[in-house]
Amino acid sequence: MTSQNNPERWDIFCAVVDNYGDIGVTWRLAKQLSAKHRIAITLWVDDLKSFSHILPALDPALPSQIHFGVTINQWSDPLPILYQAGNVLIEAFACELPEQVKTRLISMHQASKLDPNAERPPLWLNLEYLSAESWVEGCHGLPSMQASGLKKYFYFPGFTAKTGGLICENELFEKRDAWQREPQNRLDLFSSLGLSGITADDEVVSVFSYESSTLQALCEAWQNSEHTTHALFPKGRSLNSLQPILPCSVETLTAGTQIKLGNLVIHILPMTDQEGYDKLLWSCDFNIVRGEDSFLRAQWAAKPFIWHIYAQEDDYHLIKLDAFMQLYCNNLPPELAKSWKALNLAFNKEQQELTVSHWQKLNLIGLPLLRHAKQWPIDAINDVDLVSRLVQFVKNS
Amino acid sequence: MKTAHELRPGNVIMLDGSPWVVQKTETTRSGRNAAIVKLKLKHVLQDSTTESTFKGEDKMEDIILERLDCTYSYYADPMYVFMDAEYNQYDVEAENLGDAAAYIVDGMEENCQVTFYEGKAISVELPTSVVREVTYTEPSARGDTSGKVMKPATITGGGTLSVADFVKTGDMIEIDTRTNEFKKRV
Repeated sequence: MTSQNNPERWDIFCAVVDNYGDIGVTWRLAKQLSAKHRIAITLWVDDLKSFSHILPALDPALPSQIHFGVTINQWSDPLPILYQAGNVLIEAFACELPEQVKTRLISMHQASKLDPNAERPPLWLNLEYLSAESWVEGCHGLPSMQASGLKKYFYFPGFTAKTGGLICENELFEKRDAWQREPQNRLDLFSSLGLSGITADDEVVSVFSYESSTLQALCEAWQNSEHTTHALFPKGRSLNSLQPILPCSVETLTAGTQIKLGNLVIHILPMTDQEGYDKLLWSCDFNIVRGEDSFLRAQWAAKPFIWHIYAQEDDYHLIKLDAFMQLYCNNLPPELAKSWKALNLAFNKEQQELTVSHWQKLNLIGLPLLRHAKQWPIDAINDVDLVSRLVQFVKNS
Repeated sequence: MKTAHELRPGNVIMLDGSPWVVQKTETTRSGRNAAIVKLKLKHVLQDSTTESTFKGEDKMEDIILERLDCTYSYYADPMYVFMDAEYNQYDVEAENLGDAAAYIVDGMEENCQVTFYEGKAISVELPTSVVREVTYTEPSARGDTSGKVMKPATITGGGTLSVADFVKTGDMIEIDTRTNEFKKRV
């Protein structure tokens, strides 16, 4: 599948639910399919404005454009560009396909039933959310028979060999290691982002979470800590949680602003593309991340992290969190595993005092946790990344 | 029409022009509250089974077939035998009962609905709730009376489920057969 002239054409549909999560994963998938497997990818996105935050070269006003070899089409109702079926159709995160597309698939299916020589409908996949729960293995790759007779397949990313794998670009770990070997890289990066006053010995934490009262508690602890902590916040949901301790309105803050509160320096980050965000995660001592895309990138960064998981009804997210923590802590010494799990759980349950107390314990166990964070990506990838497994799945289907 | 989330063992659905009996349902949740339903299905006309995954809100054509209220009589391997009000007997393959078999016990009084396809009894639907005795559960560990703390329990017939911590061995409990969830102590 690495031919320069791969004739395959795939369509990916993505409905942007939060600003950067779904589109973040989908954009990485599209780029990698195009770059690594030379597949002609058309990515249909319903919110190009949000997309442009992570792909600044994108013009949200254009109905169609090409970036990194991927054709990006606006998905509005009706579609401004005619959908022409390719070999594969992916609905990202169970988004509802446009009626025009569904009608086209059904008519192709009916025609191919009557005439074996007629063009067959594309292989239809639903790319699901990443979960470490054990049931994923039993559902990955199963067909979903539609009333129309069409078959759709559920593709579940995951951490084990029986799942769809994890998105990870070629040579990502080598690039990261090369970056982290040279301490000046991180200082240069901070400087290029307009984050001044960070020295080599300072503790730097990136924060990209949902709203949480726990952030305020952590900031207050960092404020009163004996050493300097730099907390890097993009504008958005995490920063909104800090309003009670800020000397000005969140609305007035701009990229590059610094706010000094005791031994804590809060920096406002500028928006960055995906490659820039990776470098930021590689450069921080600790990352607080959320959802799916930044959660996975924090693991690939080989640095300790807190995962702020998307909250679900009946606290179901805590089951998902626990499933991941069990896997992540498999090879960790029990005491260390207990501390890291307790920190993540307390953060997600918004238990402010407990979070601070577990954070303070974390300093004592920082080095072994860092060693584990470096080994984890090698274990988690399970030899083969998601895109390679996906291409093989399509081949086998 | 029923959503995939509403299906339960014994339902018969139409997929691509063929009738399928739902033998087993398993509901989980994806990343953003959306339900994912895994179904074990048996083709009514062929002796084949398949597993399939659906979004919880996927709509299914639920076929209205002939149904009769029946009571359970006895088990003659591999058939469960049910009887209607006029003492007619109907054999249903054990395999077709799927997860519902866990609630079919000797002496049960609840009415079940036997479903027929072209004159043949093909599946059984249980009432939405049944009352069963807890044959074993560990004693309450925490003295919780709120019903929020759960523990495993075995019921008459050998089925297992999670029950409130205050439930004791020998208690009669009401169970939702659609979800296999404990409802209350009776």
